[in-house]
Amino acid sequence: MNAVLRYGLARLRTSRGRTFLRASGIVAAAAMVGAAVTVAWGLSTGFDRAASRAQLPDAIASFDALPIGDVSARVGALPNLRAAAYRLTISGRHVESNGNESGHATLVGVRSGPRAYALLGGHDLQADGQAVVEAGLARAWGVRPGEPIAIDGRAFDVVGVGLSPDTVAFPLAKGPRLWLRYEDVQALAGAPPGAVNQALLWVRDPGQLDVTLAQARAASYGVSGLQFVTRTGVRALVADAGGIVIALLIGFSIAALAAAGAMLAATAASDVQRRLSSIGLLRAVGASRAAVALGFGVEAALVAFPAASLGVFLGWLVASGPSTRLLESVNELPPGRSLAALLVFADAAIVVLVAAASALPAWRAARRSPLETLAAADVRGTPPRAPLPSGPAGLGFRLALARPFRTAATVAVLGSSAAIILLILTIATVLAGLRTSPAAVGRRYQLTIDGPASAAREVARIRGVSGVTPRWSVDAADSFDLGEPFTLVAFGGDHTTWENPPLAEGRRIRNDHEAEVGLGLAEALNLHPGATLAAQVPGGRELRFRVVGIDRVLQEEGRVAYVEPRRLLDATPWAQSTLAVKLAAGADAGTIESELATQGLFGSSSGGISSDSVRGWAQRNGGFVSILVSLLRTIAILDGLVCLYVLAQMLALTAQERRRAVALVRACGGNARQLAAVFAGAALPVAALAAPLGLLLERNVIGPTVSRLAATYVSLPLTAGLVPIAIVTCGLVAAAYGASWWVGRAAVVEPVVIGLREE
Amino acid sequence: MSDRVVRARGIVKSYGEGRATVRVLDGVDLDVERGELVTVLGRSGSGKSTLLHLLGALDVADGGTIEIAGTRIDGAREPVLVDLRRRKVGFVFQSFYLLPELNGFENVLLPARLVRGSDGAVARAHELIRRFELGEQALRLPATLSGGEQQRLAIVRALVNDPALVLADEPTGNLDDESRAAVLALLRRVADDARAVVLVTHEREAVELADRVLRLKEGRLRP
Repeated sequence: MNAVLRYGLARLRTSRGRTFLRASGIVAAAAMVGAAVTVAWGLSTGFDRAASRAQLPDAIASFDALPIGDVSARVGALPNLRAAAYRLTISGRHVESNGNESGHATLVGVRSGPRAYALLGGHDLQADGQAVVEAGLARAWGVRPGEPIAIDGRAFDVVGVGLSPDTVAFPLAKGPRLWLRYEDVQALAGAPPGAVNQALLWVRDPGQLDVTLAQARAASYGVSGLQFVTRTGVRALVADAGGIVIALLIGFSIAALAAAGAMLAATAASDVQRRLSSIGLLRAVGASRAAVALGFGVEAALVAFPAASLGVFLGWLVASGPSTRLLESVNELPPGRSLAALLVFADAAIVVLVAAASALPAWRAARRSPLETLAAADVRGTPPRAPLPSGPAGLGFRLALARPFRTAATVAVLGSSAAIILLILTIATVLAGLRTSPAAVGRRYQLTIDGPASAAREVARIRGVSGVTPRWSVDAADSFDLGEPFTLVAFGGDHTTWENPPLAEGRRIRNDHEAEVGLGLAEALNLHPGATLAAQVPGGRELRFRVVGIDRVLQEEGRVAYVEPRRLLDATPWAQSTLAVKLAAGADAGTIESELATQGLFGSSSGGISSDSVRGWAQRNGGFVSILVSLLRTIAILDGLVCLYVLAQMLALTAQERRRAVALVRACGGNARQLAAVFAGAALPVAALAAPLGLLLERNVIGPTVSRLAATYVSLPLTAGLVPIAIVTCGLVAAAYGASWWVGRAAVVEPVVIGLREE
Repeated sequence: MSDRVVRARGIVKSYGEGRATVRVLDGVDLDVERGELVTVLGRSGSGKSTLLHLLGALDVADGGTIEIAGTRIDGAREPVLVDLRRRKVGFVFQSFYLLPELNGFENVLLPARLVRGSDGAVARAHELIRRFELGEQALRLPATLSGGEQQRLAIVRALVNDPALVLADEPTGNLDDESRAAVLALLRRVADDARAVVLVTHEREAVELADRVLRLKEGRLRP
């Protein structure tokens, strides 16, 4: 066996306390890695997993009910078609079970063919009077296979629990979804025999789906209410719905990974630094550089393997529950065995990282002559280039400066974490405000008022109003296919200063011959940047626009097109207009609405987003908003703990690496309080640099990015306010003090003389 | 006020466990008065450094009583020991233990900055540095100083809080002949300033400067 490795193993045996401490650090960092991997992998792959298991169709065509023979004849003629299934779906039905009830249930009548939902428990429909309930309903109401459920007053037996990721789960969704045999739904709906209103399409080549859909549109003459939703579109919408949360969780995971990686590498490198004299000695007695590096690497790996395995397991244990619940709420599946492979890989990566972080510094150290290595066993001081503070805190500051790269890495990790916390707190504040004040949504205007464009100047004079513009919306239909209705929307100025849906593709409009279309409309009409949107407006005139951008608009299911007003008003001088009103900071919407009412102007429920509609959304989704707010705040707390861990680890490393300096301070009369002051001198400058760095990152990078990712039709003002900034700054300072106090206390446990003997 | 600075009776200290236990100090008695320089000689591993660590409250004795400048430290709680290390004892180590981040003057002032109301320490540090001719060295970092210069600064550091007792643990062990003589002369001057100095060494030169020489053998001090 390699002599260096023998020495390393002997050291592990004799220095059990130190080995345990080292392993504890690896356990903590590996736990963060385990949690981060569990969350990031689970959330980023949840949709694909659920879609695959449920065999989600490539496209779903919805239309007003037609005889199945008529539909299947047209569908059967489509190119690229692999399979098709037909459904009769009805909504707004009453269901009741286990003392719970809902009047918004959706019933899906299933005919033969692929079922397009995954069975999570029980069995599939085999006879009339049976129901498969969605997993969200089963969880929320505690319904299990074998139990009864009443649908529109008729008794059914629950035989299975199903899941389909094409929408979010109950109770996040307004009503639950149940799959029944076709005949049951047809009877409940009172529909004619054979009537269906949905066709599920699976294609051979998903890359050619647009050709199939174009053909389907061409073959849809006489079909009313036709709408297509593609699997890609569903994915985009579901991803958008959880976009902020998932982006934040992944951001948190990356910050945690960076923190863990930096700390693992720093711990290993510090251990080698402390053992430079041993390396010098080994070289002096003839050990080769490779033998030194290999010995240190293997020794580190022997400690890292069990510690990393335990840590990754603990991280998974902590994170898998919450991430599974989040996935369940959006009808997605937890990762299962695929995560196990990834966790094993993460475990191996940690072991390799720790081994490399030990072997490389040992290799570098062994490059020097044995004498030089023996002499370099202590950290070299950094000559002060500027006046530095004196006293214990000044000493701590210099200890931090003696390790510039570690200190910079700590500042970077803390700054990133602070940015994420700032963003999370800001979003939580916005969401919490949404429950009581629709204006808190942060869209670019707060009120929609019925009134002519000419009233804008009058409204602008009202105290508390900071901006007004007319908003015109005109119902239109696609000239090529009159079955495709949509809405043309125009503002008195640049629409993005009033409504700013994120761009999925292309660019914003620049002239009155261009249009941005919503994702829903683009999918329905197969529109891409460069395509032509032919809009037939009331009165029979046709307006043609060149599509330049696709917007992620959720309003009216995305069947909206933004255009400049001039040509729209030329074609429809009678176009209905409302006024979009921006309120000044601190202005009270109620007071302004009252004042407007005295002038005969009232809040509108048509066009734009009215206060009432947002309130309604907020009331329906109040529970989900509460879950989101508490989830976000939990992540913020976890991220805060990461900050505390990073600071404590940095100080613990300093205390371990500078054990003799700590002992010297104690020999000179320093107590736990003064050692805490020394460590605070190292931690506070780091926190003081991290806070503004976090603010800069949040304002200029993360905030705008997440704002673009935001699912909502409105743009979220994700610029941190004073309260989150104060919380994060105070939190960082408190973490610095807390970590200093803890490390200071820990440093006085052993007799002074032990630290002085440290080599 | 009594001139006795150190009064130790029956000090016992053991290392190891079970059959591997070694009783390094086995009933040491020691008295040292102000102005007295006591040299303790002994072989390597005889327990000289251990004795100094116990007198300086850096380690805890297994038995016996120790009184330093009127303060009983055996069985005392940590705040008492901290106060003793701050105000009554100055320690000089064989390896100097200057902090590499601090220049000479800052190293000298380190103990003073741990004590509240030590305004006089800065003036005292300046005076000591001037007296021991370390003005130039005080502005430099330890890495740029010779061993002798570092040790002289370490001695000044031990004096900065004006302690009654200075404990020097083989202070010349890492020095050349010239530096060794300078450091020993310095310790003599420290004792002449009405302080008690206990010097642990195994070098014969130290004997000539001492007021009293004791040998540590088989765990006990003998003249």
